[in-house]
Amino acid sequence: MIKLFFALIGILIGAVIGFILPYTYNTAYSLYISVAILACLDSVFGGIRANLEKNFNINIFISGFFGNAALAAFLAYLGDRLGVPLYYAAIFTFGGRLFENFAQIRRKLLVKRKESN
Amino acid sequence: MKKDNPKIVLMFFSIIVGIFIATQIKMKLEMYVPVTVKSLQMTKAEVLSVNNEISEMNKVIKQKEEELKLLENIAQGDNNIIDILIEDIKHNKFHSGRTDLKGPGIIITMYDNPEERMPGFDINDDVIHDIDILHILNDLKIAGAEAISINGERVLSTSEIKCGGPTIRINGRSSATPFVIKAIGDPKLLYASVSAPNTYGDILKNLYNIGFEVESEDSIEVPGFRGITNFKYAKPVGKGD
Repeated sequence: MIKLFFALIGILIGAVIGFILPYTYNTAYSLYISVAILACLDSVFGGIRANLEKNFNINIFISGFFGNAALAAFLAYLGDRLGVPLYYAAIFTFGGRLFENFAQIRRKLLVKRKESN
Repeated sequence: MKKDNPKIVLMFFSIIVGIFIATQIKMKLEMYVPVTVKSLQMTKAEVLSVNNEISEMNKVIKQKEEELKLLENIAQGDNNIIDILIEDIKHNKFHSGRTDLKGPGIIITMYDNPEERMPGFDINDDVIHDIDILHILNDLKIAGAEAISINGERVLSTSEIKCGGPTIRINGRSSATPFVIKAIGDPKLLYASVSAPNTYGDILKNLYNIGFEVESEDSIEVPGFRGITNFKYAKPVGKGD
């Protein structure tokens, strides 16, 4: 089970660090950061899934982590400039993929358990 | 590269995500909703009203601070309590219309039609009536007159304008033509309120040919109310202020 929880533990540790750090950013960027966080979460879930499938590639993971976040934030920014809520694209895509990844992870874990039992 | 432990890499990036999430939560953001013009205006109005409230409260604070200063002075013995009470009486007299007042304003002199020629068939059209005075008074009040007197009688909220044949009764005292109405206020406004075209004063003067002279002056004196006000029926409600 530890295989699933290391990401969760990491997020918790990060949250504690974030709360302790005095650093905050401009409120105007909060939307972009939110969408970027969603993209990062999706990448992490994707990473967990790949890890369970034993085809984890660190380069793909890192490029996805930062690339997705940057693209999502950029989309949100562009949408703001154009007056079209483009960040919905990022929310739907990454949100949907998040659940997809989670479903795959569940399946993998439960099936594995059955096999090991 | 492939030998890097995926768990550690994932953990590391999870920590990064966690930091961002925590920072975002720390900022206590409102829900992000599309801003409509209506909501903008509503917020604007809200801000305005709150600002107004604040300025009002600041005024009250200032007032209370002054009062406090006064009371402190009393406590220290700098100001005599009698002086303060006298000051209070002055203030109350001023606001109840019992003080002679001075200031810029206008003087209206009204008298009956001086010409022998009668524009109407009715003699009543050529004399000044109580209702004419009342109309003029109301026009002056609308124009922001702060103190009004008629033939030396201060007009208060309880002052009556009563027709007494050829005379008019104000504050229980009869007076006859010419009626001299003095009003303290913005001279230009007051002047306009009784002499602009189609005002009651203008109609009196030009249509009924009644003597109606208006002069604006830099300094006129309006006497205070000299009578006695008795409240037989009215009683104050509550403690008041």
